[in-house]
Amino acid sequence: MIRHTRIRLLHVTSFLVLVWSASPHSAAAQVYIGSDIPHRGNVEISGGAVWSGGYDLGSASAEETRNTGTGTGPFVLFSTSSRADASPGLQARLGAYLAASLSIEGGVLVARPGISTRLTGDAESAPDITATETLTRLIIDGSALFHLRGASFGGGKGVPFILGGGGYLRDAHDKNEVIETGREFHVGGGLHYWFGQGKHRFGVRAEAGISRRTGGADSIDTTRTVLTVAGSIAYLF
Amino acid sequence: MTRGAVLFLTGALVAVFSVPTAAYLKLGTRVGTRTVTLKWSQFPIRYFITDRGTTGVTSTQLRQTVQTAFSTWEAVPTSTTSSEFVGFTLANPSSRDGATVIGFQNRPDLERTLGATSFIVDTTTGAIVESDIFFNTAFPWSVSAQGETGLFDLESIALHEIGHLHGLAHSAMGETELRAGGRRVIAAEAVMFPIAFSAGTILGRTLKTDDIAGIGDIYPNSTYTRNTGSISGKVTKNGAGVLGAHVIAFDMRTQTLVGGFSLSEDGTFVIAGLDPGPHVLRVEPLDDGDIESFFDATLNIDVNFQPQFYDKIVVVPKGGGTSGVELNVVAK
Repeated sequence: MIRHTRIRLLHVTSFLVLVWSASPHSAAAQVYIGSDIPHRGNVEISGGAVWSGGYDLGSASAEETRNTGTGTGPFVLFSTSSRADASPGLQARLGAYLAASLSIEGGVLVARPGISTRLTGDAESAPDITATETLTRLIIDGSALFHLRGASFGGGKGVPFILGGGGYLRDAHDKNEVIETGREFHVGGGLHYWFGQGKHRFGVRAEAGISRRTGGADSIDTTRTVLTVAGSIAYLF
Repeated sequence: MTRGAVLFLTGALVAVFSVPTAAYLKLGTRVGTRTVTLKWSQFPIRYFITDRGTTGVTSTQLRQTVQTAFSTWEAVPTSTTSSEFVGFTLANPSSRDGATVIGFQNRPDLERTLGATSFIVDTTTGAIVESDIFFNTAFPWSVSAQGETGLFDLESIALHEIGHLHGLAHSAMGETELRAGGRRVIAAEAVMFPIAFSAGTILGRTLKTDDIAGIGDIYPNSTYTRNTGSISGKVTKNGAGVLGAHVIAFDMRTQTLVGGFSLSEDGTFVIAGLDPGPHVLRVEPLDDGDIESFFDATLNIDVNFQPQFYDKIVVVPKGGGTSGVELNVVAK
């Protein structure tokens, strides 16, 4: 009955409710039900690869003030259209289980995304070109994971989870001469699959989500949504 | 009226040298073997107004307009300058008397010159001792707030000339077309562009980013030093430096343009006074104005190359510079 109630809660609860469930009152109610499921006090270390999707950075026009009698609207010297390219990266995470169904973790992500700007429509016929640069991106974040024990499979080895959190974004331009910072918030879901039965176990972790980012190098003062997919090897102890 | 739309605002009546390490273009003078920036060493700049009006503009209106133009330059947040109206004078604005005089003067011989700025310079320091500005009464003038059809806006031209008075040379941030009688401006993005907008408009009353970068470069305050940055590099063609290439930096965040020139035989350029952030660069030959409006006629300015973009995004650091940009152009 308890388990059934939890399953239903998982489908309707918000992140805040998840946090509430980590309170001592809730945690005290958790029961260690077997070695197949991580439980309170476990620590998880994971590391792997992340793929972040590309996104549009908007367009701009290099405009000059038009003289009277020479046409209408600003004189467009050339136009730009910018995009952040999809990029792979590496991540490492360290988490702690506050309860069998709840863990918190911190992580770091490093990537080398490219930014490209298409330059077109030059008034004096300069050839179209794509200007590029590469960033070194660092994201340090924290997340809360709610493990869907009711949806576990494979004898409890496979455990889906949902997560949400936020972090600090730091972009260094080529040569690291310029640093620009921002924030990111993310939500998503994934799956742990643990091998073995002991307290010390290896496993794999796959997840996908969306990250809302503001600031950093690749923004034109906008907030953008980035799709992320990650796969990691995890160690539980 | 056949005065046409092709009217040079000034050919600064001094031997003008371009100053290396300048964006846009600063006036310079030779001190020994060095070229130094022409600038005022003391503020406020104290000036007189010639007590003579012209059709439609009294000397009092001239004083008010000049004061407004000075104020516009003084309001630039990255620069510190000041001025002071001393009084009216009967002296002409071309007098060499140690006093800075601004006024109307009838110069029908200068049929394409709306106004001009002249200097007396301390040749040991490069400091400006005196700078006079005349507005040519061979042309019709207006001080109307909205502008008047067929009349040249005095405030716009005063703003340009007072830019010279501070030490700024011409900007190439504009496009022109050749017509019978000379060039006409299609568009410009700098008050310091050498050719005026058509009569009747007041488009030239507002400083552009290029102008603001220029005045900040000459008279920088702590805001300029702390908050702006620069891009530097070389323009080359077939491995050799290109002199006089116009390099434009476009800030994709603010969507503003600042230009500079390659000012040495090895093609070195610096564009300063830029807002931090990503920029794209474009280089073009100096073909939207008479070369003599920008450089000493003895210099070998190369205009035989095609406009082109730089294939890297250049990020300007706050309070610093990005160097090493290599712009390789090809002949037309």
